[in-house]
Amino acid sequence: MRHATCHQPPARRALAAAAIAAGALSLSACATKPPATDADATQEYEQTNDPLEPTNRFFYRVNDTLDRTTLKPLAEGYVFVVPSPVRTGVHNVLANLSSPVLFADDVSQANPSHAGDTFMRFVINSTAGGAGIFDVAKSLGYPAHDTNFGITLGLWGVPSGPYLYLPFIGPSSPRAILGRGADTVIDPFTWVPRGYGLLTLNWARYGVGVVDTRADYLSDIEHVKASALDPYATFRSLYRQNIQSQVDAAKHAAASPASGPAAQPNQ
Amino acid sequence: MSILLTRRFFAFGAATLLFAAPGTRAFAQTSGADAFVKTFATDLVAIVNGPEPAAQKKAALGPVIDRDVDVSGVARFCLGRFWATATPAQRSDYTTLFGRVLLNQISGHLGDYRGVSYTLTGDTPQGSNTLVGTTITRPNQPPINVQWVVDGSSPTPKIVDVIAEGTSMRITQRSDYGSYLSQHGDSIDALIAALHRQLDNQS
Repeated sequence: MRHATCHQPPARRALAAAAIAAGALSLSACATKPPATDADATQEYEQTNDPLEPTNRFFYRVNDTLDRTTLKPLAEGYVFVVPSPVRTGVHNVLANLSSPVLFADDVSQANPSHAGDTFMRFVINSTAGGAGIFDVAKSLGYPAHDTNFGITLGLWGVPSGPYLYLPFIGPSSPRAILGRGADTVIDPFTWVPRGYGLLTLNWARYGVGVVDTRADYLSDIEHVKASALDPYATFRSLYRQNIQSQVDAAKHAAASPASGPAAQPNQ
Repeated sequence: MSILLTRRFFAFGAATLLFAAPGTRAFAQTSGADAFVKTFATDLVAIVNGPEPAAQKKAALGPVIDRDVDVSGVARFCLGRFWATATPAQRSDYTTLFGRVLLNQISGHLGDYRGVSYTLTGDTPQGSNTLVGTTITRPNQPPINVQWVVDGSSPTPKIVDVIAEGTSMRITQRSDYGSYLSQHGDSIDALIAALHRQLDNQS
């Protein structure tokens, strides 16, 4: 049987094998669980729920380097070159394109108030808002909100699973990945026929979305990095707490719709 | 960084600054904890909006924080399980450094909170604490929901935590310190040295 590596000198093959082994090792590296006798340390380990910490930290460093060399300068350039009202317009268009997915997520969370807001925002902003450039709906009493199917899964009682730090994407969890997959599947833009230029639109939308999101957090990310002794752990804690608070809010809204925004007369 | 970071996620970025944030606008209720937060906020706003130079504002901020924030209690909480193993000298050093880092972080961002206003949104009892809810509004920024955790168990109420959009300042800080310690052989001296370096960088 022919194999590509058969044509390589033995030393090179050995090096390649070592590199692959090292890569596999780094990918499967696990945090060391403290001994059972140390109850406090064990409790902390379980609360942190980051068994793949060495691997996660590796990807944190990779992403951080990519961010410093590419994404952050791009976002800074975007903020410097593009005037604020135009950036707001771009942000609004991107948000408007996400409305169908957001609507499905609102419905899956049994939140008629949010679903109504999303529906009205999509109708109003797509028409009176000039294809989503202007957020007219907000001033008419339909405020923006954000959620995703990962939060829905949390509402349904699916545990988040261990913390994951993914290349390019960042803080995540098995539940968040599942939710992200579901959101991609239900996004009508995923299913547009190729050859209509819409595939390009999808990539452009994604690319602009990344820069738009990064630009929003320029000072916040710098602030966390400057004030944290261990930024990786701080981002992990912030991510976890934030996701949990969104799940709690979704549970609260599902349990008492009358006390939610639906009770307000202008919605 | 991540493209998945939501706006809420970074509400915390503002959380450590929110001690300096509020401006009075309206007050829904006036419980003891509400009145306490109101007094604290009024004093801070007077400092934030005053004409004094930054150094003078920082000097004025210190006593207000010492009076109304349980700095040593928060410091102890943030050290977590390591507090029990720290020597009295380490505890003392750490607590002093913690207070100085906190004051620096707040006073370093006073300018970011001009034009801020807030409304009280009600209280929620939580054990011996009271969560005083506020909605913070800044010009051209989405509003942020912030809860001030007030410990009413002592004769004088004290703020023990700030929770911005569900992210707690002291839990995040404890996670940061705990992780730093576990990465540095659980050495409290290493943490104290890192706080010294942080102060040097801030000054």
